[in-house]
Amino acid sequence: MISLPLFKRSLFSSWKLLLIFFALIAMYTAVIVYMYDPALAHMLNDYQQALSGFMSAMGMTGAATNLLEFMHIYLYGFIMLVFPAAFTVVLAVRFIVRCNDSGAMACLLATPNSRMKLIVTLAASMLLCITLLLGLATALGIFCGWAMFPGELDIGRYLALNGALLLLHWALCAFIFFAACVFHETKWFYLAGVGLPVLFFLFNMLGNMGGDLAWLRALSLFSLFPGASIVAGTADGLWKLAVLGGVCLLFFPLGALWFKKKDLPL
Amino acid sequence: MYAIETQGLTKDYGRGKGIFDVTLQVPQGEAFGFLGPNGAGKTTTIRHLLGFIRPQKGRCGILGKNCFDEAAEIQRHLGYLPGELAFLDGMTGKALLDFLAQMKNLKDKRHMTELIDRFELDPSGPIKKMSKGMKQKLGLVAALMARPSVLILDEPTSGFDPLMQNRFVELILEEKERGTTVFMSSHMFEEVARTCDRTAILRDGKIAAIEDMASLKNKRSRHYVVTLDTPQRAAALRLENFEITSREGARVVIPVQNDVQNLLRQLSALPVQDLDIRTPTLEEIFLCYYGGDRT
Repeated sequence: MISLPLFKRSLFSSWKLLLIFFALIAMYTAVIVYMYDPALAHMLNDYQQALSGFMSAMGMTGAATNLLEFMHIYLYGFIMLVFPAAFTVVLAVRFIVRCNDSGAMACLLATPNSRMKLIVTLAASMLLCITLLLGLATALGIFCGWAMFPGELDIGRYLALNGALLLLHWALCAFIFFAACVFHETKWFYLAGVGLPVLFFLFNMLGNMGGDLAWLRALSLFSLFPGASIVAGTADGLWKLAVLGGVCLLFFPLGALWFKKKDLPL
Repeated sequence: MYAIETQGLTKDYGRGKGIFDVTLQVPQGEAFGFLGPNGAGKTTTIRHLLGFIRPQKGRCGILGKNCFDEAAEIQRHLGYLPGELAFLDGMTGKALLDFLAQMKNLKDKRHMTELIDRFELDPSGPIKKMSKGMKQKLGLVAALMARPSVLILDEPTSGFDPLMQNRFVELILEEKERGTTVFMSSHMFEEVARTCDRTAILRDGKIAAIEDMASLKNKRSRHYVVTLDTPQRAAALRLENFEITSREGARVVIPVQNDVQNLLRQLSALPVQDLDIRTPTLEEIFLCYYGGDRT
């Protein structure tokens, strides 16, 4: 069902990019874990009071009573949402959009591989890359916690948190993949495949600030990430995970079918 | 079963752009030329054959299979050289050829090496740094390396110098010998004349004619441009059995098909200052044989 040579090439051509994004995430993760200190937590709480609007827009609200809560507040409101999403967009551009735009897709189609097989391979490559990135980030988080604060991090919940984050990014990936399959002009792809996720994120930020704009969160894919309830150990975020799964199951096949049927600009 | 067959193939892009009711059959083993000026719809037709786009009306098939729905099966037997070459980013020529060989499930790379030698291609450098001619060679090696039974080439020699054009012609003639069907688009008559058995002439998205190459060559006239000593004499010039298509100052243009002896005999009695022979362009072939109604 997938083309192994293309799969290998896609992965091989993106390992540098993967390393760059991992380095960025690793730096923030290490710094945030390093900063964990009950005394410092008080200082950050002071920040939250002084800069309440800004901090809450970034999702950085609440008092951290343990390392996991601390990481959730300061990493999973911005860094772990935006960087992997940006990585996915770059992958979509490299694997699909630019190939259609430059005509290089003709190279791939001039081989005995069906459009379906090629596009499924590219989707699988995107999924694997984003999974690798978050897998590495998770391993690094566990390592940092173990190295700096042995026994502090609730590994089980940390894994659950990252599992949910992975599902969120699969859903975003599905959406961006769909946009890449539908729009073959780069500008339209950016409008839909990047513009909408950015808008989602803005809605999420404005919604987080509360007040009159809280309803905006309901329009954002990012608000389907049930980070807070996982960290708190409650199960009330499960329906959100189901919706994220639904987004994957809808947009991946839809994008692939669209690509199979459409006129290609080659 | 025809190697390539289209029936009423139509794709209307509006404002007269596109292709309209293109019908042609290419039997297996034939070399078929597809001539037309730029923008006539050659590449649009080829995009249908490759299954990149879907016909609005009509249908097209290769080796009895539907070009859009069964593109992957067709590709097992097809070699394709795009008109606008674009390769995957950041690869060397060698890496690309190896990658495409894997994609085509090609184990035996001897023919690939032969082709590389033959075109004197050095595929070790990055594709980004290659000249147009080198990319063209790379594309040809990729198209031919799996020994396809049908070849579709879109403007194959653009970017080649005359030496490489000759090598290309030799190669196509060999492929024909092997029984390969060749479908080749071009806007240059000579290129098609040297390789093809038949040619279609495309104009404004419609097939103006499908001709045997031999009869087309016969029909094709050469233009003799004769300069006499004075404009008056040029204006008064009459020739037996020849028509004068234009007079400009002391110069007259005489299309000649075969009776050169007769023309020279008549000219020898005149004060000819200069004699020039022009091969007509594709446009002039149209004007001569397919009606002068082109606006």
